[in-house]
Amino acid sequence: MNAVDATEHYETSAHDPAPSLLTVIIDTNPHAWALLEKNDKNQLPFSTALANILVFLNAHLACNYANEVAVVASHSHKAAWLYPSASTITTDPDGDVAMTADGNSNGGRQVNKYRLFRIVEEQVTSNLRRLMDSTSRADVNSSSSTMMAGALTLALSHINRRTIAWAEAHGGGDTSSLTRSSDPDTSTASMHARRSTTTTATNDSGAEGLQSRILIISVSSATGSAHQYIPIMNGIFACQRLHVPIDVCKLSGDAVFLQQASDATKGIYMSLSEPRGLLQYLMMAFLPDQRSRKHLILPTRVDVDFRAACFCHRRVVDVGFVCSICLSIFCEPPENGDCLTCGTHLDMGDYGAKPAVVARKKTKKKKPRPNGVSATPTPTPTPGP
Amino acid sequence: MADSDEEYIGGISEDEGDNNIARGLRGAAGSASKRRKQKGGAEFELSRTWETLVEGADGTISSTVEGLLEASKRKRLLRDTTPLQRGIIRHVVLILDLSQAMTEKDLRPTRYLLTLRYAQEFVREFFEQNPISQIGVLGLRDGLALRISDMSGNPTEHISAIQEMRSQDPKGLPSLQNGLEMARGALFHAPSHGTREILVIFGSLLSSDPGDIHQTITTLIDDKIRVGIVGLAAQVAICRELCTKTNGGDDTTYGVALNEQHFRELMMDVTTPPATYSQKQSTSSLLMMGFPSRTIELFPSLCACHSNPTSGGYLCSRCNSKVCGLPAECPSCGLTLILSTHLARSYHHLFPLMNWVEIPWQRASRSTACFACGISFPAVPPREQWHVTENLTKGMSVSSRYECTVCKNHFCIDCDLFAHEVVHNCPGCQSRIAIHSQDDVSKGQDGLEQMDTSG
Repeated sequence: MNAVDATEHYETSAHDPAPSLLTVIIDTNPHAWALLEKNDKNQLPFSTALANILVFLNAHLACNYANEVAVVASHSHKAAWLYPSASTITTDPDGDVAMTADGNSNGGRQVNKYRLFRIVEEQVTSNLRRLMDSTSRADVNSSSSTMMAGALTLALSHINRRTIAWAEAHGGGDTSSLTRSSDPDTSTASMHARRSTTTTATNDSGAEGLQSRILIISVSSATGSAHQYIPIMNGIFACQRLHVPIDVCKLSGDAVFLQQASDATKGIYMSLSEPRGLLQYLMMAFLPDQRSRKHLILPTRVDVDFRAACFCHRRVVDVGFVCSICLSIFCEPPENGDCLTCGTHLDMGDYGAKPAVVARKKTKKKKPRPNGVSATPTPTPTPGP
Repeated sequence: MADSDEEYIGGISEDEGDNNIARGLRGAAGSASKRRKQKGGAEFELSRTWETLVEGADGTISSTVEGLLEASKRKRLLRDTTPLQRGIIRHVVLILDLSQAMTEKDLRPTRYLLTLRYAQEFVREFFEQNPISQIGVLGLRDGLALRISDMSGNPTEHISAIQEMRSQDPKGLPSLQNGLEMARGALFHAPSHGTREILVIFGSLLSSDPGDIHQTITTLIDDKIRVGIVGLAAQVAICRELCTKTNGGDDTTYGVALNEQHFRELMMDVTTPPATYSQKQSTSSLLMMGFPSRTIELFPSLCACHSNPTSGGYLCSRCNSKVCGLPAECPSCGLTLILSTHLARSYHHLFPLMNWVEIPWQRASRSTACFACGISFPAVPPREQWHVTENLTKGMSVSSRYECTVCKNHFCIDCDLFAHEVVHNCPGCQSRIAIHSQDDVSKGQDGLEQMDTSG
């Protein structure tokens, strides 16, 4: 019908593809990068990797003029924003971004670069340098893990903020922002209402909504993140609720919880066999956004490690003991049968007990006795002291 | 928000009034709540929403409106964060009233259709919050108890069964006793480490029972079944008695819906796992469970549970038999197999995030932007103006900053809401926990405290 009266072109112009927000979490744990660099076969220095990631970010920004990126560093002792850093978000009382934020920094050198590319590159590198400078020897020595849970939470907070801002700025979102802020009901219902608005905001097939996704570039191994099991799982469930896929690009090792993260949120998990080809992997596998992914066969893995971390020793286990009250996981039955988390006395069943060992029957070599008493076995001699 | 018109503001404050009543109903003890309820109607009529609006210095009401909005966001956050012992493995029977009384149109579109819609949402939300629990659905129609769906842990089954009820019409009188007895039968096999609960959505003001319902109540108490009721019309004495007796003298599980919103809240409250009372309701036990990993095979093989050829599945972590779905019990060695993500989903009940505190202007100068999302806070005004904005609305922070008491970082209201309701992590604590965990690692064993603050 529309084609007949030529109103079709209005609709096509009204249905611009929704912009997408890509949040990249870079695992900047120095230990893991040093190991990766030492590897003779698959050398990938951090500087090269960062350059590749910046090209990938630019590619994402180039896909749509309204696309956004955010970069979080998950360092060995803290999680920090690389882009946008607090200084650029600072606005005037009028709500305008301060002009000095990008004007002062050596703009003259790179006048021919697209402004957004330049800002991202400058901020990421300078913030990363600051982060590395602030890392003392003690920090590196003390922990070899990475703050993945914190980085994930920061990324989610930013996504939440941008989703709200986008919905408020665009007409399509004003009803959702209204329901979000005006219903003064209690938690559950509001959470539900908000979830549904977020769902419509991010998941609607229409042009509405900012589409967000998270890409984790991980180098640390699994054992490091076992003590953050609960916060990471909380982050994963939040992503699941908000329909934010978590893509994982694993440069070395294998991470249990990140596999679960991408599986639960329908993201892509790739363990790179050739880390030197990072850029190609990024461009080929991780660039398409949610809408294009519907039409693609994703290179994700099907076998997923679903093991959990125990609460008592933070071991990663595949068979555990679970408290029926609080569902805490233990790798061995707790002492006295008291749950370490909730303190309930637990009915142990037979788990703690050692299996009854049947004493091995001493089979003596029986010599055929000449006197014929073999029918009645000789009593075993009393064991000596 | 500044361009909102008057009607919109009015809407907010009215809802707030509602909410106060609702809270009173649930929060206070029995007699107090009754009093509140009687008074509630009058209060509701007399609330003069326009009087709460005060013009700001610039002659607009935008500041007040924003204050109201923020206060309403904040209010629903301030809840109890005591980590209670909760029964997380639950067995719930949902009983829906399908009698004549449900045709009333006081809840839009009708009580019947609204109940069915909310029941479906309830089932979905319930399994979101209690993934390893079981639910069953019954109906009360024509004096009989009607089985809508059997006890099971699969939400889609229940939702489609409830969906089918839409084509039928409510008729006859309900029999509470029949419904309770059938629910009791359904819960008979529930293992002792789980909870046994009944939730009744009751639209009628009467119950036509074949026998003595008090006898049924006694047997329910003996079987340690807790009953919660959501009334749609008015309070019914037997319902209150039923709830009080089966919940150890606590009648907060009985609520009467004031409107659609309130009805929904009452139902959704039940999805939170109930606190375990100190008097032993159930014996707790240590369960051995396996967390199998998913595998994929090139050629299909038979699964041990259904003997169907599948080319992937989960291998039992003890005996390596292949099962095709989770949760399941290993058919060969009897180990309970479960996805660890199912367990992890309920951990935020165990380690709730502490409420964040409001920051007065005195301490506001420490931060200029939200730690998590980087939005800038309003600048600290000169000291003379501090008292002007103080005590504007209760529960909200004058400086728009909220502080986590553990990591001392400041956050905005949106991040506060997001952190407490969706992600259940504190961005600040998670981002710098290594300072703690350094000495944790050295001390080795005391990870539990750390988990308490972080989870």
